[in-house]
Amino acid sequence: MRFMPPTHRGEASFINVSASAFAAARLGALQALAAWPVLLGRVMFYLLILVVLAALWDKVAAEQVTPLAGMLPPEGLAIYIGVTEWVTLSVVAIERGFEDDIRNGGLEPYLLRPKSYLLQRVAPALGETMVRLVVLGMAGLAAVAMSGRPLPAPGALLALIVLGGLGCIVGMMLYVLVGLAAFWMRRVLPAMLIVQKLSFLLGGLVAPISLYPDWLFSIAKATPFGAHLYWVGVQTVTPSARLFCIGIAWQILWSMVLGALCALVWQAGLQKAVREGL
Amino acid sequence: MSQIIAVRELHKAYRRVKRRRGPLGAVRELFSPDYQTQDAVSRVSFTVSEGERVAIIGPNGAGKSTTLKMLSGVLQPTSGSAEVLGLTPSRQRRALAYGVGVVFGQRSQLWAELSARDAFLLLRRIYDQDADVFRRRLGELVERFGIANILDQPVRQLSLGQRMRCEITASLLHGPKLLFLDEPTIGLDITAKAAIRDFIREQSREAGQTVLLTSHDTRDIELVCERVIVINEGRIVVDQPVAELRRRFLSRKVITIQSATPTVTVDLPGVTRRASEAHTTILVVDTVRVRIEQVIAMALAQGGINDVTIEDPPMEEVIHEIYAAHASR
Repeated sequence: MRFMPPTHRGEASFINVSASAFAAARLGALQALAAWPVLLGRVMFYLLILVVLAALWDKVAAEQVTPLAGMLPPEGLAIYIGVTEWVTLSVVAIERGFEDDIRNGGLEPYLLRPKSYLLQRVAPALGETMVRLVVLGMAGLAAVAMSGRPLPAPGALLALIVLGGLGCIVGMMLYVLVGLAAFWMRRVLPAMLIVQKLSFLLGGLVAPISLYPDWLFSIAKATPFGAHLYWVGVQTVTPSARLFCIGIAWQILWSMVLGALCALVWQAGLQKAVREGL
Repeated sequence: MSQIIAVRELHKAYRRVKRRRGPLGAVRELFSPDYQTQDAVSRVSFTVSEGERVAIIGPNGAGKSTTLKMLSGVLQPTSGSAEVLGLTPSRQRRALAYGVGVVFGQRSQLWAELSARDAFLLLRRIYDQDADVFRRRLGELVERFGIANILDQPVRQLSLGQRMRCEITASLLHGPKLLFLDEPTIGLDITAKAAIRDFIREQSREAGQTVLLTSHDTRDIELVCERVIVINEGRIVVDQPVAELRRRFLSRKVITIQSATPTVTVDLPGVTRRASEAHTTILVVDTVRVRIEQVIAMALAQGGINDVTIEDPPMEEVIHEIYAAHASR
């Protein structure tokens, strides 16, 4: 007997794949909301970071501690930090799930389903990330309002939402690559630490990379780490439609490049797994 | 009956790098690795017909998981061929997935914080199911497994038995023709185990589903399956009906006698006594050397017998005997 799968030639159609991705993202979002105490803890952590780093940059701006302080906006970098931390804390640590699946055999149940493992894993994480983005974003805005600082204009807010969402996608792709390294590495933590440090340094997590020497700034802003954080944050320092367009172009470019790279690495890892076993 | 699974000379050998000692060894290993090959499955052949319930058993490392992985397409055979539902698993894994349901006793396919219903809705999308067909199947399975009252509870709040019923429901929602069950009763209490076994057996009978089960619990094999394939050291040692397996490997019966006296003595060749409580005598009878009637007659002659039961030895002993026979070859 020959079994005929329901979709044409056994290949899932674009519509079916999209419907699955949407359903998985919805489930991820629901899971994040259901685990609201964890979400609340994340909000508290975010606010704590904001209080500490905003105090630091307020002092730098007020006392002109360094000549570089002159290059900063007069109200300091509190909003910049709020935005870069907002993106960083919104991205789900998806690499842990990948490592666990690959090292402990959790991959098999996913492979025994008719949709891609990447879709089944990334879509829920994306749904969860979007929930975090909304909740942390609202907490950040509330913190700004309570501190007496001016809230971003509606246009600037919209730009931040678009760039923030894309920044999260770039960050998630970087984490996916780290997670897929588990096909070849016993532990992915060292790779994750490298990505986190590079996001800190080249992405400008706590200070804009525009403070770097020109040559280093040119390199940093063209990296995926810049696309992850800098192009979102820069809208709070020097907001402009031109920088928005450049930022979005870098983010889309890196999303596509990293997405293709994830697909290639996944295929290589899968080939290894079906040949040698997990 | 048509064939659901056809395996011919299926072989899997793993190639591993031979570890060398010391720092220099590690460097040499990097540039000129020394490989060693180990056969996990050695040229096994078997077929499974539609509606059959087959147990694949064997000690740890025997090759049963490797065989199942090759049948589901998550592992590529080194040589030989496997055809499942008319498809080649290693080349058509995703197409095959539409026709196969999988339950892992030790891995959940549900989401802890969410309800089983939410997970079922996602699975509907993953398997591209028509909404009406999905609703009908879900209704039938919910009724069969009695999970209507737990369907909307977060999965983390369910007992292991309730969760396993939801897991099996999840694996059946897309109407698979073939069901892979990997240790489906592991960790469950006796009542939950019995319920799960009943569910699987009845579901398979009524829907005509083919079941391939692996378990270390021999009661799963006895109560769910009608055929058993025993794999050891990568080879099929036994492939026959469960009932025949007992007859072939055991020429023994276990007689339990309840008596008014503390013990009953049956002194016959081929009869051995097992330790038991007072007023209960357990005798293991070698039916080649002595007839059951002789043993019963001798026991009854002593008087004060309240009850006598005659049973086949537990499946566990059968399996143990098969392994022992194979190891001594």
